[in-house]
Amino acid sequence: MDWTKQIGRYIVVMLLQVLLFNQLQLWDVCHPYIYILCLLMMPITIPHWLSMVLGAVAGLVMDVFCNSLGIHMAACVLLMYIRPYLIGAIVNDKDRLNEQISTQAIGLGAMFEYTIIMVLLHHLAVFTMAAWSWKHIGFVLFETLVSSIVTILVIMGYNSMRDK
Amino acid sequence: MQTLLKILQRYSNFLVFLTLEVAAFLLISLNNAFPRSSMLSTANRFVAWQNEKVSNMRSYFHLQTQNEQLAIENAELRNQICSIDSAEYRNPFTYMSAIAVQMTTDELHNYITINRGSEDGVMRGQGVRNAEGVVGIIRTVGTHYSVVMPIINTRNRLSCRFTKNGYFGTLQWDGKDNRFAQLADVAAHMVVNPGDTIVTSGLSPVFPEGIPVGIVENSVLKEGDSYHTIRVRLNTNFKQLRFVEIVQNKDQQEIEELTDGLD
Repeated sequence: MDWTKQIGRYIVVMLLQVLLFNQLQLWDVCHPYIYILCLLMMPITIPHWLSMVLGAVAGLVMDVFCNSLGIHMAACVLLMYIRPYLIGAIVNDKDRLNEQISTQAIGLGAMFEYTIIMVLLHHLAVFTMAAWSWKHIGFVLFETLVSSIVTILVIMGYNSMRDK
Repeated sequence: MQTLLKILQRYSNFLVFLTLEVAAFLLISLNNAFPRSSMLSTANRFVAWQNEKVSNMRSYFHLQTQNEQLAIENAELRNQICSIDSAEYRNPFTYMSAIAVQMTTDELHNYITINRGSEDGVMRGQGVRNAEGVVGIIRTVGTHYSVVMPIINTRNRLSCRFTKNGYFGTLQWDGKDNRFAQLADVAAHMVVNPGDTIVTSGLSPVFPEGIPVGIVENSVLKEGDSYHTIRVRLNTNFKQLRFVEIVQNKDQQEIEELTDGLD
């Protein structure tokens, strides 16, 4: 696995997140967290425990930028915990999963399914924990939906560009 | 022993997951209960520096309105100079200017980062205002930056009063619209009209009396309620906040010591 490439991608995505997507104040409900792209696209060959630790670190870094200590960390660890099981459930042909998670390797349908489930889960976890009560559940669901659409578009866009 | 080791090995991934989640929730609960560490928030020097750069870039888009606001504030200050005529009145409040370098306005728990810290004499619990009105209260202090909990944070409470008759109320925010907040604890027998002015009460050592807070937008009194439900249009426009002033009370420590002794 090419670590420099992974870290380089993480830095670029984090810069985009902090300098561009965190500044989006056009709509009051739109907070896309595109930084999870790196976690989603992390090679599946990496040990499960290590992927969770890396998720925790990435979440913690995001928390520092968002003043939300622990929230992104919890959501990312959850994400990385279910990731191998989700991929196992979605992808039938395991032989094609030797290294990279890409549209070429698992097919467009599976990729789309994988991205939607992961993004919705992460955003729902973050917004629910940030609200910290069921009183705002309607708002939380709406916020999750709007923000997830943007994040999913960004991640799928990245994948389609990478395949060319 | 062998079986135990086997079980541990079998569930090792789940144990890692559990440990990390427990750590995360510990952080969340610590964060809710205590003032956060300045290292792990936007008072962190690197994060704040980054935010300051972005904020400087964004500020060019608001120059026109900012200039107008500064002009209004200058005029107001001149008026205040004219009105100081009593030598006996001892004013414990001093003001220090600061710039908001980062903020959120559309979450439930909004925070603002400003470019003053403990080296400038900022302390937790001091008030923050701008030319328009009340902004919030200092919550976390770093060396060069601090984090402010604004009145548009659902955890904030601010003691206010009506200018027309001096009745008190508590300002809270419901997390929905950053232009409006709610005034609670106003008894039903009082007459509330749209357009009534709300200012700080001066009951806490944080703010002097009479800083503008907002104007009553509408008020509802349901049958059998003993308190009004009042919607207040806030004076401060948080969407364009940039220049703020930290309100420092020379007597804050003395007042706190006196009230602590009462328990």
